[in-house]
Amino acid sequence: MGAAGSKLEKALGDQFPEGERYFGLENFGNTCYCNSVLQALYFCAPFREQLLEYYANSKNIGDAEENLLTCLADLFSQISSQKKKTGVIAPKRFVQRLKKQNELFRSYMHQDAHEFLNFLLNELVDILEKEAQAVKSEPETSSPPEKTANGPKHAQANGVSKEPLVTWVHKNFQGILTNETRCLQCETVTARDETFFDLSLDIEQNSSITSCLKNFSSTETLNAEDKFFCDKCCSLQEAQKRMKIKKPPHILVIHLKRFKYIEQLGRYKKLSYRVVFPLELKLSNTVEDADIEYSLFAVVVHVGSGPNHGHYVSLVKSHNHWLFFDDENVEMIDESAVQTFFGSAQEYSSNTDHGYILFYESIGASNNKS
Amino acid sequence: MINSSNGMISTSSTSANTQSPGLKTYFKTPEGRYKLHYEKTHPSGLLHYAHGKTVTQVTLAIIKDKPAPSTPTAPPSGFSTGSGVRSAAARLLGASNGSRALSFVGGNGGSKSISSSSSSSGRIGSLGTSCSSNSMINSNFDGKGTYLIFNVGDAIFITDLNSQDKDPIKSIHFSNSNPVCHAFDQDAKDGHDLLIGLSSGDVYSVSLRQQLQDVGKKLVGAHHYNKDGSVNNSRCMSIAWVPGGDGAFVVAHADGNLYVYEKSKDGAGDSSFPVIKDQTQFSVSHARYSKSNPIARWHICQGSINGIAFSNEGAYLATVGRDGYLRVFDYSKEQLICGGKSYYGALLCCAWSMDAKYILTGGEDDLVQVWSMEDRKVVAWGEGHNSWVSGVAFDSYWSSPNSDGTGENVVYRFGSVGQDTQLLLWDLEMDEIVVPIRRCPPPGGSPTFSTGSQSSHWDSVIPVGTLQPAPSMRDVPKLSPVVAHRVHTEPLSGLVFTQECVLTVCREGHVKIWMRPGASDSQSGNSETIPSTSLKEKPLLSSKIGSSTYKQ
Repeated sequence: MGAAGSKLEKALGDQFPEGERYFGLENFGNTCYCNSVLQALYFCAPFREQLLEYYANSKNIGDAEENLLTCLADLFSQISSQKKKTGVIAPKRFVQRLKKQNELFRSYMHQDAHEFLNFLLNELVDILEKEAQAVKSEPETSSPPEKTANGPKHAQANGVSKEPLVTWVHKNFQGILTNETRCLQCETVTARDETFFDLSLDIEQNSSITSCLKNFSSTETLNAEDKFFCDKCCSLQEAQKRMKIKKPPHILVIHLKRFKYIEQLGRYKKLSYRVVFPLELKLSNTVEDADIEYSLFAVVVHVGSGPNHGHYVSLVKSHNHWLFFDDENVEMIDESAVQTFFGSAQEYSSNTDHGYILFYESIGASNNKS
Repeated sequence: MINSSNGMISTSSTSANTQSPGLKTYFKTPEGRYKLHYEKTHPSGLLHYAHGKTVTQVTLAIIKDKPAPSTPTAPPSGFSTGSGVRSAAARLLGASNGSRALSFVGGNGGSKSISSSSSSSGRIGSLGTSCSSNSMINSNFDGKGTYLIFNVGDAIFITDLNSQDKDPIKSIHFSNSNPVCHAFDQDAKDGHDLLIGLSSGDVYSVSLRQQLQDVGKKLVGAHHYNKDGSVNNSRCMSIAWVPGGDGAFVVAHADGNLYVYEKSKDGAGDSSFPVIKDQTQFSVSHARYSKSNPIARWHICQGSINGIAFSNEGAYLATVGRDGYLRVFDYSKEQLICGGKSYYGALLCCAWSMDAKYILTGGEDDLVQVWSMEDRKVVAWGEGHNSWVSGVAFDSYWSSPNSDGTGENVVYRFGSVGQDTQLLLWDLEMDEIVVPIRRCPPPGGSPTFSTGSQSSHWDSVIPVGTLQPAPSMRDVPKLSPVVAHRVHTEPLSGLVFTQECVLTVCREGHVKIWMRPGASDSQSGNSETIPSTSLKEKPLLSSKIGSSTYKQ
């Protein structure tokens, strides 16, 4: 391990970014889903910066109760304050806490990295919200919003104008989708906003993320069994529905739905489709033609042919170098190697390393930074 | 149109498991049906480990006349005699049974003996068993011919365009590195007309005819440049002869440099170039010694140069790269004239119109971009691909079926292929490109300053030598394809138009040849549909481009 670290240092030479640390994470038995996501988050510059800032401030307050947020902050600060530039760290406390918190992650089974990311971000938000309420010392009895294990939406209390607290996690990851439904009878357009931390996209063989995003926002007709209740008509009507992005997030997280439930098989199947993702991206499905440009900085890769087993690794861009994180191991890779994780143009290919979660950061206007 | 093409892909993706059966062998256009004529591929079971590491490119090579008796770049004499003997033998065979019809008969023992005697390798032997390939070699030895050159893995394959034989007539293997790009000069004065660039950075020039005459599986009579990457060890990305350049050629590399070589010089001279001071700036350095080859280095951009193209007369050189910029240079003056950024992501390919007025680019934003040299900016975006656009080309043989030839409305036909496995054909009618309607008209005031940088795309005069930023989505007129057809099961990597057909090639090395609707074909019935099809995308509100009346 130490040798691998020095190899990376050698590869970077005097280009090793000042103050940066590249540490592998130990695997405690099928915890690669966790490690791969943690690396992506660690190299999400604004998130790390704000987490460490939070950590510094909360330390002054005094030892608060341990939770997932403090464990994560502790881990990040541990990495960033290492004397050595490279090496391996055991995220033991964090993983223990995670298993304590959620029985889903308690087993040694293969876990879904996207589910973990989603759980983690929602958990962080809950903790921050609770803390903020405690500070306000208002005995408001708003229980934390109900979360579905799989849903990316952090459902807003329906229309009740409770001032939503915007934490630094929100500032980084939260975007707003607007769901426009047009009743085909009375032509009334109903728009409903919902927030998201990531976009889950259906994928198609030999397509691009751009195309998947277009399909995500394509118009869908609600009819037959699936009619829309129009408030104006006061009845079920045929309607057209489309999703648009009202507020693009600062960090755009895209989840490729590679695990699909196949009814005939009665089980999930991994789609190995080749879905190309560019290093720079703009969103075309926004409400306003914002032309905000995003730059890819991390990819969580699922390795393996099935949904219930396999491995997770991550690709991370740090100071214009691409790094490959595989649990304990960290390697430098060429930018062009990113394309080997697009997927397979044919089924039953020997290549099973597929991009699964993409992390883009908006470049240019960084109005979301605190 | 976009929706319908989306629909196409979704149906195709559901049938993706069954693969090829879902592919049609023809596609309809306003002018008629294009039919799948031949398919060309490499011998099956070839080096699957090498797949994915290289992307197949295809070069069309037309050998016009008889070869010059001897070439100044001839290899060591022993070698050349050897091949001469072989060619003489082949001529004899060709005279005895050389007719094309015989090539399909099979069991041609005479020619089989040639290949087996000259090569102990199983690969050539296995080609020989398909038999027609042998007679193909015979019949093409001293005649003219049209060939396709394509690379797969560590090999270059040469196939006869006009034969229906699927397997190539010749394969050339490279031991150290993979061939990744190639170019052919049909007007080459001396023997060397084929250029091959390798992933190691090495470059070869050879005579195509000489390769066809030789039955071995090695390159013969080659000139070797940038040996072992001594000048530049990054991957060759694109290679091109300088039109009218008297044997000069350029090689673009993955590190953003482009080198100018002269084939008449051997590559032995010292060719060191000064260190590039600013990676972000364009700079040209000339070799210090007159014997050096390469003779010049152009540092074009940071990151890879993904594609290059000369205008027809060689006046301009266009490059596209990882940084997303199209750059157009005055080649002889070595000056940047104009260029601009993609909507987002890298640009992957570029091509000129025959009249050098327009450049097509394709890239990672899934768009086909039409760049006007006159306006020095993007004049249209073609929307229709569902993935990256990997090949673009103007159809210089196409003439608008409804034009009388003298019409003012110039129509360009072009094609594009993408990683979505689709071939798209487009019509560019300058009368029809319209400036999109502004969503928010400026509240009074002068149009020049009203909406800031976003709308400047249509207002400003662009000075020479400046690169344009990415235009805003609403500022660029959109085109829809005339036809979208899923032609392969694998992502595509290129297309070529010839007089008779359109060639498509996929990354894994399969070439398909689509015959144009024949002149005798049922034109009448199909041509009826032209107006309705080509008008379908005509926007309702239009101010026209081309006559520069598109102020506001």
